[in-house]
Amino acid sequence: MKYFLYWGCSLEASGANFLVSLRPACEALGMEFEEIDDWNCCGASISYVGGNDLAIKVLNARNLALAEAAGGFDIVAPCSSCYIQMNKVNHEIQQDPELASTVNEILAEGGLSYSGNIKVRHLLDVLYHDIGVKTIADHVVYPLDGIKVAGYVGCQSVRPYGEYDSVENPVIQDKILTALGAEAAYFPNKMRCCGSGIFLTEMEHCARLVADILNDAIGHGAELVSTVCPMCAMNLENYQGRINKLLGTEFDIPIVYLTQLMAVAFGMDPKTDAALNYNIIPPEKVLNRALH
Amino acid sequence: MKNEKQYNQSFADEVFRRVDFGQEIKKCMQCGVCAASCPLSLDMDYSPRKIFAMIRAGKREEVLSSEALLLCTSCYACKVRCPRGIPVVDVMHGLAHYALSQGYVPRKNTAIFAGEFWSQIYKKGRIDEKDLSRRYFFADGFIPGIRNSLELADIGISMLLHKRMKVLPERSIKGIGALRKMLDKADEVRKGGAVS
Repeated sequence: MKYFLYWGCSLEASGANFLVSLRPACEALGMEFEEIDDWNCCGASISYVGGNDLAIKVLNARNLALAEAAGGFDIVAPCSSCYIQMNKVNHEIQQDPELASTVNEILAEGGLSYSGNIKVRHLLDVLYHDIGVKTIADHVVYPLDGIKVAGYVGCQSVRPYGEYDSVENPVIQDKILTALGAEAAYFPNKMRCCGSGIFLTEMEHCARLVADILNDAIGHGAELVSTVCPMCAMNLENYQGRINKLLGTEFDIPIVYLTQLMAVAFGMDPKTDAALNYNIIPPEKVLNRALH
Repeated sequence: MKNEKQYNQSFADEVFRRVDFGQEIKKCMQCGVCAASCPLSLDMDYSPRKIFAMIRAGKREEVLSSEALLLCTSCYACKVRCPRGIPVVDVMHGLAHYALSQGYVPRKNTAIFAGEFWSQIYKKGRIDEKDLSRRYFFADGFIPGIRNSLELADIGISMLLHKRMKVLPERSIKGIGALRKMLDKADEVRKGGAVS
């Protein structure tokens, strides 16, 4: 199946291991990706400070308009911020004809228009509903046997609409982990917020949020945390040492993208496909049990 | 007993008229589910529920200078759970944008970072993470900039070594001129009044 892949700004930098592993892992499952030519930033979670609501809607409508003109395939947005922003704006435009006409008037400044016919989807949605856990399990060469993983979903992956999984107790990531042969840890904090885009600027408040998430994962026996959001990965992994300093904790748990685990289980190259060398806290010490 | 307390309605009217999603506050029944769902409500001076009550009570100064406006992590738990269907997170974002436009700076660091974030979108159409951090660190001048950079240098270096930082500067998108025209027009349209 063919999709537009709207990977966004983070996946070219701090979330690079997500994009590197996503392509081979998903393409092995028969997914085909095309870039939205000349896409712009979605605004992420803090654009509202500088931009008014209409300006943020226009940012996302421009990407939707470009995608519609270039073929209209479903858009897969692997970054949760990209997903929530684009999906939200898409719904608002589809449901409010007055807004749609205002937005189109503005898009016309750049010779674009959007009629509302695109679907914006999360990677988990596509993996579960279009591909299915059976196909995923069929591709497993090296099952992640005996590895206990906490599937961290985060806030923005299923909210606010809960279109493809529960907003309070999502289960799809755990089902995919199980299909890969791993054991999905019981993890009640899987939807607790990590601090998102304000972690860097409000660290003294947000450190506790990440500690609550990691304590819950480790407390339930997880050796790895898997995620599908570049912001979650950044806050849980890159700031782990800083959180230890601030709170006197001793966290040392690897944080990986679900697609990295897929690439490992599918028997792909640990570096060029699974991008394990991009991780700052090395996941190999746990994954070596499955690696060839 | 007769209630002698008189509330000043003018601030509530101002919010309804000029803040994105401001009208939604009319639906609030003060149940507090938003406050209970908010990951940082305990760190805020006033929870979202209190902010809504204070708007109705006319407390303009306290609301527009409240730290709560810039402590929102955008987790959307409040919007998902509000039994009255208020998009609480969108109202808080609207209030934050309005407060800054009125000259209030509830949380300096987040305000600077977010301001740089928006200006990068306007300049290039995309975000350059390393440039964004650099501008944030150096916002108060060279000496504080060096101090801030050294403070988090270990994180930056580990990202660079693990290919998690783009080495080359981000280039503008091809359609940046058109994008700016659209954003300017959105500003102009918005000045006519809140859209939602």
